[in-house]
Amino acid sequence: MIYQLQVPGPVPDVEEVRILEWHGEVGRAFEPGELVVELETHKAIVEVRASKISVLRDILCAEGDWQKIGAALALFSDEPDEPIPDDAEQLTAMLVDFEIT
Amino acid sequence: MTLSDETAAATKIFFREAIIRALQEEMQADPKLTLLGQDIGAFGGSYREFDGLFDAFGAERVRDMPVAEAAMVGIGVGAAAAGMRTLVSITYMDFLMLALDPLVNYAAKLRFKTAGQLRAPVVVKTTAGAKGQGVAHSQCIEAWLMAVPGLKVVAPSTPADAYGLLKTALREEGPVVYIDHKRLFPTAGHVPVKAACIPFGQALHVRSGSDVTLVSFSYMMTPTLQAAERLNAQGVSCDVIDLRSLAPLDMATICTSVKKTGVMVTVEEGQLTCGVGSEISFRLREMLDGVKIARIGAVAAPVSSNRVLEAASLPDADKIVTCVLTLLNGKGG
Amino acid sequence: MSAHELLHDMLLIRTFEQHLIKRRDHGFQLFSSGEEAVSVGLCSVLNRDDQLLCSGRAIGPALARGLEPGLVLAELLGKVAGPCRGRAGRGHMALPAQGFFGAHAVVGGNLTIAAGVALAMQSEGNQNLVACMFGDGACGAGALHETLNIAALWHLPLLLVCNNNQYSVSTPRAAALAPQKLSDLAVPFGMPALTVDGMDVTAVRDATREFSDHIRAGKGPAFLECISYRFTPHSTSARESRPTAEIEAIQALCPIVRLSSQMLMDGEISQADLDQMKKDVNAAVQAASVFAEAAAFPDPAEVLHDIV
Repeated sequence: MIYQLQVPGPVPDVEEVRILEWHGEVGRAFEPGELVVELETHKAIVEVRASKISVLRDILCAEGDWQKIGAALALFSDEPDEPIPDDAEQLTAMLVDFEIT
Repeated sequence: MTLSDETAAATKIFFREAIIRALQEEMQADPKLTLLGQDIGAFGGSYREFDGLFDAFGAERVRDMPVAEAAMVGIGVGAAAAGMRTLVSITYMDFLMLALDPLVNYAAKLRFKTAGQLRAPVVVKTTAGAKGQGVAHSQCIEAWLMAVPGLKVVAPSTPADAYGLLKTALREEGPVVYIDHKRLFPTAGHVPVKAACIPFGQALHVRSGSDVTLVSFSYMMTPTLQAAERLNAQGVSCDVIDLRSLAPLDMATICTSVKKTGVMVTVEEGQLTCGVGSEISFRLREMLDGVKIARIGAVAAPVSSNRVLEAASLPDADKIVTCVLTLLNGKGG
Repeated sequence: MSAHELLHDMLLIRTFEQHLIKRRDHGFQLFSSGEEAVSVGLCSVLNRDDQLLCSGRAIGPALARGLEPGLVLAELLGKVAGPCRGRAGRGHMALPAQGFFGAHAVVGGNLTIAAGVALAMQSEGNQNLVACMFGDGACGAGALHETLNIAALWHLPLLLVCNNNQYSVSTPRAAALAPQKLSDLAVPFGMPALTVDGMDVTAVRDATREFSDHIRAGKGPAFLECISYRFTPHSTSARESRPTAEIEAIQALCPIVRLSSQMLMDGEISQADLDQMKKDVNAAVQAASVFAEAAAFPDPAEVLHDIV
């Protein structure tokens, strides 16, 4: 199955974040709890971690880009070679753990 | 300007980063510029609006101070009068009350009383406004300061204006109070890539309309622009002005707009009595006849940390919409 | 500075103020008569590039710092020939180019400012110092605590000089301030602090010299309390609150009589030389008066000059 990784929330006061750092390139498989991406708010870092075994398939926001809470950041899949559908924007949101530091 | 031009000419940053950039550029340009305040050193400021400056410029130019507002401002003023240039950070505008003596009695009078022998190029940077912190951490007292001859007062609503106004403040020859707002810190916006100052005394015309002029500043620009959008959907076209600079006031821009609309509503977060809106309204009456005017501000009550009471005391988009419609329907003004 | 010069400077302040009070146009003044030794003893140790800040009781400090009596009188009378074009008057006069950063008539209001001036000097890395004079009244203000703390923390080149003339307007010092000695206020901050007889100009000078050496060596601030007595009421418009007997006892402590008697006794000055000195000082004050009277009042349009 293909999932959409979205900017998690709610984060108090925050409507928009800046992508600080991706921890892996397209094709990398993540174990549950592994750090996927760090997002920057006006005063904190949001660490987004995988909640299940999954493969990073496409990065939609580069480091330095801005994205709203709830909007898409990347695509993941259960299997490394599942085809990505054209309507990727309609995909199910991937469950993630996130921590604000 | 097309979107690609805008992207090329400006970069999107957080509000606090606009402040850091202005400070960094001005500290590089002027080795005498020194920052004083509580928690501004390695900690980087309560809103991280001093991040990185301590590492870049060291403990002598980014000085942490004890909790002693009168001494923070007094020392900043004295050092400025003696040839340095200083920025003093007062975390909450409410606490500026503790430091009004050196600011009002000394700095604002210094150039006049010494017949120009001494000047105090000091910027007092502070943060106003309500955000759940209660009666002594929420106030907007900019109108008090506007009444002091010799003081300049500015209050940006966007990162671009924060950057440009702070740079100008740091080049002034006399005291300036530069006011942020707590609710502006989570915001981000485009700031020109090329270094540039924004002159004081120039309001910004941010939305064009023909039925009513809305005048606001600082965080109140947010509900004001929301209200303008909603009024537009109801067929009321709003001309919106962001003051940016409170002393000096740009009455010319307001006057031009109200000549067109014939109706003005001012929106501020501080008290209405002797407030920014009162001052603008009366000055406008001296310039134009037959204008409909209304003022919106906090109710005459302390601002509680209680969420319900805080909201009840402050202006919001609903209240602005209601006020404008009432005024246009002839029941106010 | 020699004993002759100390005596001369104290005489000048006294004579100047005696002339001023006789004028019908003297305005609202706070006099230093009786307290001359504090300003003169302090200023005798200051260098040209040091700065002096004082309270609204500024005539003594300004003259002791070497400002021309004509300029001072012009300022007091509101004439444009004054260093501040007559705008500042007694309460706020200043001539920073001559080391007189100026008066500030808010009690305790000059303390944090002086610390700021000291910070500017420290950042220039020279050996200059800032002296800040204030009354016992200022010792009840929080600004003193804040200033002592930061000046000590940052080792600022700041000499705090408390001219303790025993009264805040009518309130006796003992009724307003708890510490036994006002110099005790500085002790917890780890800076040298001393109380001296402020009617003895050489005692003030010697203590100032010791502290200025300490400060110029980069060792941080110091606090000097000078016990003094004013000969006149708080101001030209304030009622005298002190009993006659107390005032008479105070007059007997005159710092000018004390120094001149000692000098006559030691043969340091002859009666003839002393009389000549008095004549010279009188002539200087007369000349100041002629200068100030000839000067113009400001044009009313000046009220809007030098504001922003």
